[in-house]
Amino acid sequence: MELFGIWVTAFLTLCIYSFLYRDNPFYRFAEHLFIGVSVGYGIVLSIHQGFIPFAWDPFWAAVKPFWPGIPREAGWMGLLKLIPIAMGLLFFGGLSPRHTWLIRYPSAILVGFGSGISIPLMLQTFIFEQTRGTIEPFAAINAGTLSPWGIVEAVLMVVGVVCTLTYFFFSVEHRGPINWLSKVGIGFLMIGFGSAFGNTVMGRVALLIQRVDFLLNDWLGTIF
Amino acid sequence: MRRQVPLVLCFFFGVTIILTRFSPHPFSQSFYEEVNSWALIIFPFAFVLATVTLIRSHVTRIRRRSEHWQYSFIVFAGLIAMVVIGVPFGPQHPVFEWLFNNIQVPMDATMFSLLAFFIASAAYRAFRARTFEATLLLVTAIIVMIGNVPIGDLIWSETSSVKQWILNNPNLSARRGIILGVSLGVISQSIRIILGIERSYLGGGD
Amino acid sequence: MLDKLMNIDRRIVFILVALAVIIPTKLSVNLPVSVSEPTQKLYDYIDDLPAGATIMIAFDYGPASLPELHPMARAVLKQCFEKNIRVIGLTLAADAPTLANTLMEEVAEENEAMVGEDYVFLGYRPGGTLVILGMGNSIASVFDSDYSGTALAEIPMMENIKNYDQISLLLDLASGSTTEGWITYANAQYDLRIASGVTGVLISQMYPFLQTGQLVGLIAGISGAAEYEDLIDTPAKAMKWINIESFVHLLIVGLVILGNIAFFIRNRQEE
Repeated sequence: MELFGIWVTAFLTLCIYSFLYRDNPFYRFAEHLFIGVSVGYGIVLSIHQGFIPFAWDPFWAAVKPFWPGIPREAGWMGLLKLIPIAMGLLFFGGLSPRHTWLIRYPSAILVGFGSGISIPLMLQTFIFEQTRGTIEPFAAINAGTLSPWGIVEAVLMVVGVVCTLTYFFFSVEHRGPINWLSKVGIGFLMIGFGSAFGNTVMGRVALLIQRVDFLLNDWLGTIF
Repeated sequence: MRRQVPLVLCFFFGVTIILTRFSPHPFSQSFYEEVNSWALIIFPFAFVLATVTLIRSHVTRIRRRSEHWQYSFIVFAGLIAMVVIGVPFGPQHPVFEWLFNNIQVPMDATMFSLLAFFIASAAYRAFRARTFEATLLLVTAIIVMIGNVPIGDLIWSETSSVKQWILNNPNLSARRGIILGVSLGVISQSIRIILGIERSYLGGGD
Repeated sequence: MLDKLMNIDRRIVFILVALAVIIPTKLSVNLPVSVSEPTQKLYDYIDDLPAGATIMIAFDYGPASLPELHPMARAVLKQCFEKNIRVIGLTLAADAPTLANTLMEEVAEENEAMVGEDYVFLGYRPGGTLVILGMGNSIASVFDSDYSGTALAEIPMMENIKNYDQISLLLDLASGSTTEGWITYANAQYDLRIASGVTGVLISQMYPFLQTGQLVGLIAGISGAAEYEDLIDTPAKAMKWINIESFVHLLIVGLVILGNIAFFIRNRQEE
């Protein structure tokens, strides 16, 4: 079974690499099989690891005390969980064009909760903490604990952050000093994007190396 | 009813959750915990829509005999095989795991590895030092690429240090500028959503 | 001649890339790696934890990122098992549970770690940030059982673990924006210490969080994984692959330089 698996894997890998020559039926076969299998996997995991623990189990726990023949252990409070289950069921409204508006109810709860929880936490994580990180080195300069090179880096960081923000600041026209700051900001952004590109290349090449390693050693290793 | 009630729900849950953040009272905390558990229950249902949309699009392709419509049968074959085994027997069934490990895993990794070829080709054709900004981008990319691999330090012993300095300093400043800008945008958008000014999540219609 | 060079068929570039991978794969090249500061920080943090401490590993990646993130997961798990640090595995990615569960079982077997005592894999729950927030109140309210269906109450190592208060570190192995989610919803809300291991695409955007200390440490792509293998003194796949990667990077840099030389010569000729 393991050997068969290696051959299936190798065949499908080569089907996908055939796209490098040109689009062809082998590639399309593999591509569509991949979509089907991955959606199937997602459905199974969503049922077993999502629906059952989050929807079915609370539903059963809520109605069980009222089921004939089962002793009443829990009180009426368990029935509260039926509200979100009913809200979730409204998503099925999306299956009929006339009832699509029903989706708005569960969506509104999720969006409202998500917005409410994210506002204070995003302020803390992304605004306060990042501003602190930019200013804090100057406290070290004041205390005399930062090396001359460290001071250069601290100043460079503030210049970089301010200039990058200036580039994204569209409320004033980019003229004169603002234009210069914005141009310096573009320079910093280019360095940021350049480093992102360099790192992305590393990531994609790693994927290729792993596949070639499989083909040369695991698959061809079964033949030679 | 169709628009006003969702707007009220969104406002109510948004504002009350913000308030719970500033109140350590047990009632406030248990309210927050209860609402979080509600959201967890609601969330998996949204997956139904995504799945049905995909199935519908392939059914439509077959019905209309669109280009390459025959391949939609392969989508269904893969999907049905996984569901027929996985739903009754669970995701730890050996056949289900075999299909995942020998079909989905290698194809997913191979699809993304194709990008290595396209990146190399695009870099050769389009990565040109036409302007000062483009040169900055190009030089940084080269330093990072060489600094990321062991051969970089063989070429010049400081390559990885220079790469690390770039990531720690100018890259950090640019990223921080982006983070500050984007998060200010997201926060203001969240406030607009709670106040009912931004309503695009309700979709079109009445 | 110059035009021919600049408009070379892309399939020739593809062949060159393939050769740059195939030839070094067959020759075994072994160059030393230099350990970067973010990787060293994470290693030291875990190394300083007392035996019996518990860390969480979030396997937030699917098969597409397996070659980059699996080697680092393997290296960190080995370090933890050798130091008797207990590991709780979980995932926010729907396509990750099989991969993560198999990997944890493999590394545990190699290091004689016992399921339920030294490690547990909780599996997947949908909801992303909701899952992160829910576990801050009670892990059992989100994961009432582990991936194999054993109730949390029956797992010995979970006996005294209620929420993040008993967790020394969360390591997020990410191929998407989950690390920001863990920082926002677990670190800011519940003071949980966060570290990250990310794919190449995400490396650059993690540095602002490293500087502020919101991230304890960072394993940066396949090079970070190779550094970690070096630190635990167990060279494996990442070490092998980063050496092969050297040749592909040299080829790509060479192609970029060649393309630019041709571009400048043609521009000069046109002038």
